[in-house]
Order: sequence, then C-alpha cells, then structure tokens
Amino acid sequence: MREWVGLALRLVVGGVWIVAGAIKLPDPAQSVAAVRAYQILPSDLVTPVGQLLPILEVVIGLLLVLGLLTRAAAVASAVLFVVFIAGIASVWARGINIDCGCFGGGGANPDAASQYPWEIARDAALLAASLFLAWLPQSRLALDNVLFRRTPVIEGP
Amino acid sequence: MSKKNRPNDRAARAAAALEAKQREERRRRNLMVGGVVIGIVVVLFAGWLIARNLDTTKDVTADAASSSSEFGVTIGPDSAPNKVVIYEDFLCPFCGQLEKATRDDLSQLAADGKVQVEYRPFDLLGGGDPTSYSVRSAGAFSIVLDKSSAAVTKKFHDLLFENQPSESGPFPESSELADLAVEAGATESDVRGPIEGDQGNAWVVKATKAATDAGVQSTPTVLLNGAVFQDGRTVEDLANNLIKQLQ
Repeated sequence: MREWVGLALRLVVGGVWIVAGAIKLPDPAQSVAAVRAYQILPSDLVTPVGQLLPILEVVIGLLLVLGLLTRAAAVASAVLFVVFIAGIASVWARGINIDCGCFGGGGANPDAASQYPWEIARDAALLAASLFLAWLPQSRLALDNVLFRRTPVIEGP
Repeated sequence: MSKKNRPNDRAARAAAALEAKQREERRRRNLMVGGVVIGIVVVLFAGWLIARNLDTTKDVTADAASSSSEFGVTIGPDSAPNKVVIYEDFLCPFCGQLEKATRDDLSQLAADGKVQVEYRPFDLLGGGDPTSYSVRSAGAFSIVLDKSSAAVTKKFHDLLFENQPSESGPFPESSELADLAVEAGATESDVRGPIEGDQGNAWVVKATKAATDAGVQSTPTVLLNGAVFQDGRTVEDLANNLIKQLQ
C-alpha cells in the first residue's frame, strides 16, 4: 500500500516539475527576467540561475516519474521547494508584487499579494510529498526496482 | 573432528559466496548510480548551453540616443561621452522606481554634459489596447513631444511617473493627462484636444513596434552605450551602479 502511495506522489510531484520546467524551456529570457524580479540574487547569478532552473526542473521531474534515483531526486525536489517558498515569502514580506514565474510568466503583477498564500500552500504540499519520498523512496513501478534489485539476505539458520 | 567441521565449512562457504555476490552487486550498483549521475550532469550542462544560446535578454540592438530621435525625449548634449537609452512603460512599477532612483542624478549628469539620456516610452503592459493607460499615457507623451520643447516633454514625462497609477487602477482619464501636460508647460490649446481625443495612438503603435523590433522584451530596459545594463540586485542597486558608470 505504502509503495502505491509512493508511486502516486512520484507521478504528481514529478508531473508538476515536468510541466513547470517544460513551459519555461523555450524562453530562457523570460525565465531569467522572472528570477531577476525577485530582487534576491546578485545580477551575475541571475542569468545562469534563470537559464538552468527550467532544465533542472524537467530533469528532477523525469527522475521522479521514472522512479530513477528516487531518494536523491526527492531530496533535490524538497530543497528547490524550500528555496521557492523562501523566495515567495521574501517578495511578499518586502511588498514586491510579482508573478512567481512558477509556470512561466514572471515580472510585475498587481494582484500578486492575494496569490502568494496559495502559491506557498501549493509549494508546501509539494514539499511534504517530496519529503515523504525522500524518507520512503520505495515505490511501485520504479526504475530503481529494476536497476538496483538486491539479493535478499537470508536470515537465520 | 573432521566430521564435526564439515557443516561449518559448508556454512562458511555459503556465507563467502553470498558476500561475494553482494560485493559484486554493490559494485554494479555503484557503477550504475555513477553512470546515471554522469548522464544527469551531461544533460544539465547541455541544456544550460542551449538555454544560453536561446536567451535573448541581451539581444537589444536599438538606435543610440539622439536629440533627433522620433520616439523619445532626450536630455544632455549629443556630444556627451556616454549614451543611455531607457525603454519604459508609464504604467510599469519598476520603471517608476527606476525613475525615482535616477532622475535627479541623470538630470545633473546630463546638465554637466557627461551623459545623454533618451527616454523611450512604449506600450508594454497595455497589449495594444487603445483604451489602456499604457497606450493613452504614451500617446499623450507623443503629442507633447510633437507640440512642445524637449524640456516641457521631459517635465511631462516626470509628472506622469510622479502620478503613476497602480497597475490595477483606477486610471486617470485622458483629460487628466492633458491637465498634467499643461502643468508641465505645454500650451493648452495645442495639446488638450489631441490628448483627450487619444490622437497619439498611432505613434504608440509605431514606437512599440520600433522597441519590439529592437529586441526590447521588458521594462525598464536600460541601454548604456548600446549594451543592455542590468548590473544590480534591486532597482536601487541598478540605479546606483548606472550612475557610478556615468560619473
């Protein structure tokens, strides 16, 4: 049962990452602008981070959906969600109204303040799912099961 | 003695065989994980290289600042050693912040002949909607630019930012924009009719096309001597770093 829960969480979290990353892949300029709008990173870092994030998201999503290196992918996923929650909380606290750029877009958005709570809640739920997978990475229909099958240790005499 | 040992021997052999098998599995597992990790790193790196090539942030090739420009108002002499172009939308909040943070210094530097700054408003946020504030304000700017001096136009430009509405409204009527133009020093009989009739819209379409053709995708876009200037974590940082470059 627990392994089926793991499968479901892998598909949900991984699916969200793939969609979020794939939407941003074709337009790195927009992704860079979205990162810049948070006004957190120094300008030298904004460009590489903005360019790398979409591809990183897709890779993490694929690993989760395939169930490949599930624990490592889940840890990376959890770390990213913590960073995103911190970023959104930071702009919210500073009174900067921007589109979070989570699924493309980005930049100024007058209605942002009303969306921050829901965005943080969504990311927190996905963070919880990622932590669950990092804790119990065993799940059904995972490549890990095929690639890393272990010979069971015979116990007792 | 030897008879007694035999079962132990067998157990020891079995244990050794199992351990060898597990060792082999660990080795295989480590190789596999290593291979997958290397694959991931290669994909990330290749993806990053492609993203760098697709990133058009810095691909802005706009005409240099000039006092004879069709789409902007200029301060500072044509002979100034540094040229700055600022693409902006009168509704964009970051443009308003940049204005606030740079106006006094840029005006002073321009007056000292150290820089020529051209402000090029266009319609980014209105999406071409002729009733949007972005279009109406830029249109009013064009009418003042056409009918009045550069100094009056710059003053009107400043007043528009000082009275910048929130992006979610409410937005000033065009008649209120005409009031600001008159306050800036434009001759009322020249500008009120055209501004209230939103006659600047055609100019805004052309200015927006010129900006888009130049590669401008966001506002404010600041060009220092032809290159996109983005050095700064916050708008204030950006402003300070820009001024530093010009002093």
